[in-house]
Amino acid sequence: MRLRGDVNVLAPIAILLPLVAGALLFVLPDDPRLGKIYGTLVAFATLVVVLLARHADWSVRWLARPFTAAFHVGPTPIGWWLALLLGLCTLCAVAATNLPRQRSFVAQLLLLEGTMIGLFFARDLLLFAFFWDAMLIPVFFVLLGWGSHPATAWRYFIYNFAGGLLLLFATAAFGVIYGSTDVIGQSGAPLIGAWAPWIFAGFALAFLVKTPVWPLHTWMPATYADAPSPLVAVVSAVQSKAGLYGFLVIGLAYLPTYVARFAPELVVLGAISLLYGATVALVQPDTKRVVAYSSLSHLGLIAIAIATRNPLALQGALVYIVAHGLFSTALFLILGYVEEREGTRSLIRLGGLGHANPRLTGAFTIAALAALGLPGLAGFVGEIVILSGVYQAGWTWAVIVALIAIVLASAYMLRLLQDAMNGPVVDDLPVRRDLTWIEGLAVAPLLIALLAIGIQPHAIMAAIAGAVR
Amino acid sequence: MIHHVMGNDGTYPLLIALWLLPLLGAILCWGFGPWLKARAGWLASALVGASFVLAVLSWGAGTQSVGGTLGAHQSLLSWIPGFDFGLLLDPLALLWVFVITGVGALIHLYSIGYMDGDAAFARFFAYMNFFVFAMLTLVLSDNFVGLLIGWGLVGLASYFLIGFWFFKPSAVAAARKAFVLNVVGDVGIMFAIFLIVANVHSIGFGDAFAAAGSYATPTLFLICLGLFVGAAAKSAQVPLHTWLPDAMEGPTPVSALIHAATMVTAGVYLIARCAPLWSVNADAQMLVGTIGGLTALLGAILGCAQWDIKRILAYSTMSQIGYMIMGVGVGAYEGGVAHFFTHAFFKAQLFLGSGLIIHALANEQDIRRMGGLAKKLPYAFVVMLVGVLAICGTPGFSAFFSKDMIIYGTLQHGHPWLYAVGILTAGLTAYYMLRLLFVTFLGSYRGAVDPSDLGIRHPELAGLPSDGDPAPQDATAHHHAPAWIMNLPVGILIVPSIFAGWLMFGGANSPWAHFFAGQFPVPNVVVPPISEGATSAIVFACVLVGAAVAAARYASKGALADAVARLRSESVRMPALLSNRFYFDAAIDALCVRSAQLAGTFFGRVADPHVIDGTVREAAISARWMGTLMRSLQTGLLRAYALILVFGAACFIVYYALAGGR
Amino acid sequence: MTGALPVALGNYVALASVMFFIGVVGVLVRRNPLVMLMSIELMFNAANVLFMAFARAWLQNAGQIFAFLVITVAAAEAAIGLAIVVAVFRSAATVDVDEVRSLHG
Repeated sequence: MRLRGDVNVLAPIAILLPLVAGALLFVLPDDPRLGKIYGTLVAFATLVVVLLARHADWSVRWLARPFTAAFHVGPTPIGWWLALLLGLCTLCAVAATNLPRQRSFVAQLLLLEGTMIGLFFARDLLLFAFFWDAMLIPVFFVLLGWGSHPATAWRYFIYNFAGGLLLLFATAAFGVIYGSTDVIGQSGAPLIGAWAPWIFAGFALAFLVKTPVWPLHTWMPATYADAPSPLVAVVSAVQSKAGLYGFLVIGLAYLPTYVARFAPELVVLGAISLLYGATVALVQPDTKRVVAYSSLSHLGLIAIAIATRNPLALQGALVYIVAHGLFSTALFLILGYVEEREGTRSLIRLGGLGHANPRLTGAFTIAALAALGLPGLAGFVGEIVILSGVYQAGWTWAVIVALIAIVLASAYMLRLLQDAMNGPVVDDLPVRRDLTWIEGLAVAPLLIALLAIGIQPHAIMAAIAGAVR
Repeated sequence: MIHHVMGNDGTYPLLIALWLLPLLGAILCWGFGPWLKARAGWLASALVGASFVLAVLSWGAGTQSVGGTLGAHQSLLSWIPGFDFGLLLDPLALLWVFVITGVGALIHLYSIGYMDGDAAFARFFAYMNFFVFAMLTLVLSDNFVGLLIGWGLVGLASYFLIGFWFFKPSAVAAARKAFVLNVVGDVGIMFAIFLIVANVHSIGFGDAFAAAGSYATPTLFLICLGLFVGAAAKSAQVPLHTWLPDAMEGPTPVSALIHAATMVTAGVYLIARCAPLWSVNADAQMLVGTIGGLTALLGAILGCAQWDIKRILAYSTMSQIGYMIMGVGVGAYEGGVAHFFTHAFFKAQLFLGSGLIIHALANEQDIRRMGGLAKKLPYAFVVMLVGVLAICGTPGFSAFFSKDMIIYGTLQHGHPWLYAVGILTAGLTAYYMLRLLFVTFLGSYRGAVDPSDLGIRHPELAGLPSDGDPAPQDATAHHHAPAWIMNLPVGILIVPSIFAGWLMFGGANSPWAHFFAGQFPVPNVVVPPISEGATSAIVFACVLVGAAVAAARYASKGALADAVARLRSESVRMPALLSNRFYFDAAIDALCVRSAQLAGTFFGRVADPHVIDGTVREAAISARWMGTLMRSLQTGLLRAYALILVFGAACFIVYYALAGGR
Repeated sequence: MTGALPVALGNYVALASVMFFIGVVGVLVRRNPLVMLMSIELMFNAANVLFMAFARAWLQNAGQIFAFLVITVAAAEAAIGLAIVVAVFRSAATVDVDEVRSLHG
């Protein structure tokens, strides 16, 4: 692959392109249409760069003491998939944006994309910790600027920053003991020593807050309900996976004995998240909170998969990470459309939208079916492979809990879909146009990807099997 | 690792075509519905019909037997590395394909008339074609995951079609209930798949069955249990049956195709397909046989207590599937499958016949408001009469043969109790089906009678959805389908309703036995003390008793003269146990639905905001309290700070002075 | 090894201690910020005296360099301190440090 010049430089470009373009957008004229077109083009270009940067690896020395660190960027195999997912979700989210002060919002989305690509491309733990905190900032500002409760923004920031602080401490300790933080995605020896359990605790807490896993989740429903849908789509689809990614590239790679030792606790937390999220989603009246709690439930399943360390479960976890990213993006964007049209998120007030909005209903139905794990769509592939692995790892009770949660998922997803779309027309809701072309195109790639992965998961599973090793 | 593949591997383009044609129809009707308009119905029917023709042409491939390997196998794709998908057409699958496409095509044709004028005509046919495709996926898959995908997709099609009139809240609720209960079944099959994969590292039927003897007995029982949870949910077996009567909210052709002829028999297919597993686990056989028998009996009892024509048929479907499950459960696979075959015809015919009535009476479904229809609707009367005679097991009609095969099979496989249940249920079946026939067609028309005089409570008070299929939205449209389009398919169904059973005549030398030669494991049967002929006689005697009771209560001269008062008193004095359907709905609601909602409300309203966030809030409050404490030190008096500084420095000096050079 | 000093080292230390103590008392008892700044200068110079004395005594030039650094810092500090005094006087119309306590908690 030498003939196309140096591909390695694509790695920093993938990070800097959205960051610079996002910053630049603040000085461009404040025109909503310009912001959206510019943002879409940048997001598309970033997606292409990420796609090409699969084998890029670029490094500059940074610190020599007290431990060696480097500006070392280049996707790990898993990170590349996540960055690709991020690129697609951001592209769709930007295209679906329709908000006041659109230019600034799109700029924040691009900044978020840049910092998160940095996270998934970071090969250095210190760099990872840096991007971990950096990606909070755009979300925080969007919550302050576009949300209705400043308290939500602070809650988001404090929870995640506390996690970030633990991550930083753990990183520093890791660096001092290990001698280098330039370790991600490189086959180094596991960390040992008296401090290792504490370092593991620091990493694990940071990752569990971000995912989130019960009982560290309470920042999440508030954030997801309050933030504008395109941002929530990206945060729930990709940012929430940062913790799971961390577990894979740091926890499993460098602290495997501690993942194994604390596996029962992690499985229990995951199982509680599964059932807790599912039951709360069953009764929430707020559409976005339903999906927020469903995310808690789904991510609990991935946490279980990672805790069991079974190869099959890990492959399934990656497929499910991608699938969840796709359907939660689609669901949040669609719920954003509904909220934009009807001015409410309450399932008690909504109803009968299917009459005037057949295309919206169709898109919503596919997304909801993928979320409830309909056989033949992407979510199902992830679920069945994960649970097959979890069963083989000997966690039969966790499998049964997950199966109960799948039944509950069908109940709450159909409730969400039917209460909004079916039933008689509600008179006091404004009747609006169906999906426009642009709105439809913004969710179409997600739905097509869900179908494609569901029907023929061989390609992604084969690629992922290599990533898991 | 050597994979065991069922069927003779090869390339069978016909098989792929017959599987995918209905999907093509679904996509076309869905994508081009507004343009196709009424042509959508013809397109959809033609494609399912073409599928049927291809199925007939595949007869040779499906029944071939090379060195003991039955049927045809077509590899498709690798699902995930190590797990492959393919199509398998053996006699068992072929039988289902015939019914799905054959009966399916007739019901599609009928629907052109029944759904005429509906605003979403094309969407209806898209769903119907999608259902046929999903059902074909289910029965043609050569592995458990493919079967589960078909299993889930037929559930989805059923959900779409039950909730087809999505503006009716009762239809929406019924659709959701059906879907969620079916997911319970999906999850059961998933669990069985996990066990199978953990044991044989394959999802293929061939591998799973080749290892049938090598599973530990408890493991095998759990596999069978998981599969049976799936079968029970899909085939409306106790206690997962409550969705089926509610599913009658869908348009009547849907009830005929999905909730009578094909989808609800998927459980029978599953158990017959997994016969190698069942036949080596007596506990699983006992469980399935018992549940099947119980369902047959409960369905028949509840069928006696219904007034909605479609609900009577729904409970009768449940009861008949109970027979089939009982048959395949105890090991009488050919009998169970035979009853599926005959049932598909006469039950589809009964549903389509009831559709003729409902259509003619402007969507009336309560049989108390019918009566005397034999003169008004003679064609419907003939159709229903043949159907009723068939389902009762009248000698010469189809169910006579298939039902006897099951009832006698239970005895052959050593389950005398199930034998008794089967005979009792046959009598009850005759009673409630003739009750339906007599109340609907004899006497005088009661459509003009005040509903309260017939004991019909206000539908909302009764808690039952009462509004039938909604009237076509543009009834005055110039385009109208001709009457034959509904009458012809029903008329065609009469033929197999009567004669399909003759295929099973002749014991081991019957065409039926030849067709299935080598398909099912041959179990050890005992020679029962009662001969097959005697069994038929006992069953028929029981049927006659049921028929006589029904005739006395509903068809005698006095009963007909006094019909209104009698129906009223029967309605009013219906035991609470029956009118509440044995409290299954209430129990599931209280145990599962309410408790989950209660937990969710508790977690969402109490645990999240007060317990978890409360803890966090306490932490924040104590941090603020600490801050308040510390701020009192900040006086703002510069010289005070300086004094503290000097004092601190002095302390250091004193400390090091005292510590000396240490 | 020590360099030759015309006066015994102890005398320098005594002088520096006295200067430093006068500076400390000045900061603590005076309320005029100008005088407080002068007292701080006195403390700096006490330190400088010690730096020079020990540098000479131990023949280490680092001490002399540090003295220059201290002089620079002291100059900068005086400049900023005076600027603050002027700014405070403009806004509070007083330079009494006991009157200016808007930084209380």
